[in-house]
Amino acid sequence: MGRVTGNYQSEKPLHPKACALLANAFDSGWGDPRKLGSSANLAKVMRNEALESIAGHLGLRFDEIEVLGEPSIGHGLAIQGFLGEKSRLFYSALDRSEVIAIARSLTSCEIPVDKTGAISIEKLRANSPSKDDVFALQLANLETGVLQNTEEILKACSGAMIACDATALGAHARLPSRWDSALFDSRSWQGPAGLGILAIRSAANWRNPLPHIGALRTPNSYSLPLLLASALALDAWIDDARTSLVNVRALNKHLRNEIARRIPNCDIAGELDSSLPHITSVSFLYCEGEELLHALEKLAITVDSGSACTAEDLQPSHVLAAMGVLTHGNIRITLPLDVCLQEVDLLIESLMRIVAEARSK
Amino acid sequence: MITVNSLDSRCPQPIIDTAKALAELEIGVVITLLANDPATWPDLQAWARMTKNLVVQVKENVYEITKLS
Repeated sequence: MGRVTGNYQSEKPLHPKACALLANAFDSGWGDPRKLGSSANLAKVMRNEALESIAGHLGLRFDEIEVLGEPSIGHGLAIQGFLGEKSRLFYSALDRSEVIAIARSLTSCEIPVDKTGAISIEKLRANSPSKDDVFALQLANLETGVLQNTEEILKACSGAMIACDATALGAHARLPSRWDSALFDSRSWQGPAGLGILAIRSAANWRNPLPHIGALRTPNSYSLPLLLASALALDAWIDDARTSLVNVRALNKHLRNEIARRIPNCDIAGELDSSLPHITSVSFLYCEGEELLHALEKLAITVDSGSACTAEDLQPSHVLAAMGVLTHGNIRITLPLDVCLQEVDLLIESLMRIVAEARSK
Repeated sequence: MITVNSLDSRCPQPIIDTAKALAELEIGVVITLLANDPATWPDLQAWARMTKNLVVQVKENVYEITKLS
């Protein structure tokens, strides 16, 4: 699917090179790299090249990497693999629902965040995580783009195992100086959905929490073409991002400044200086998120929303609530790498119009 | 005391009802809001910060709002 007037949803179209690779692979078929024979050997070579490439871009070692056919299962593997009988799980109020679900079944401690989304170091220190504990460290938040000051957090929980959630961070930045597991989602670098990368650094302390026979650390049930397409998409993303992200950050700053200046009673989540460069989450007082989303769609502009009216369970966003940001009338804008000033200005003008219309009803 | 009944209304309606009720009142007046949408409390607090008013949760589904601006 190509760009419409403005696709500002977090789910981006697959990179064209990855699309072409997938079409070719599904057309001609592929071998199983775990078996014997020439097609299996070719598949093994291609798999290893893809893993080497991904490892290089993400700052991982080849032997640390496990590939997951279902990225969300990685949260459980990354965290529960380090849990012992005495363990407590520390996590932040911004964490994903998968992490919160794990925390509810354990002895756990939720660390609050401030208005910028930064984890409370004071609260973390007060609870002093020990070497038996696991800290689920979300490096970047998908809903708001908020980045954590990881080195400060690591100082406050020295000794605890660190399970990094890098599903939103992707290749935007390197992992912190100390980590024990890290989970990536291929979609963060415009790769295919259904492909996760789990890195386990402290293998000696990690036990597969899933029922298993043999030495396999993960179910190993991923699709090889998705892995190859993901490696290709990451290559392309790194090339594009090198030149584009400075421009994207400048345009996002313009977007945030103009929304704040020209639309009264809006609430922007977090600060751009401590956020991913391409995400803005903004809530408009007295508006419904769903109504704004549909009004924009009529103008061929697509965005996401964190408001309760757009959620399956009709609950307000726990991320926005934790940051004290207005949860209704919310839209999330994810700028693509090739966005330009004219498109951003069109988005601002459109928002001004539809918010005014919504409030006049 | 004025009571605004927004029970069974979905957000942002309780916040809109509150703002409409306060619009016609003097500074310092306190009203009670009844609302059971789960977004009411986080959104009331954000609304109070943005509009410079004061909100207190009295008990589940009951809030007191003081007009300060």
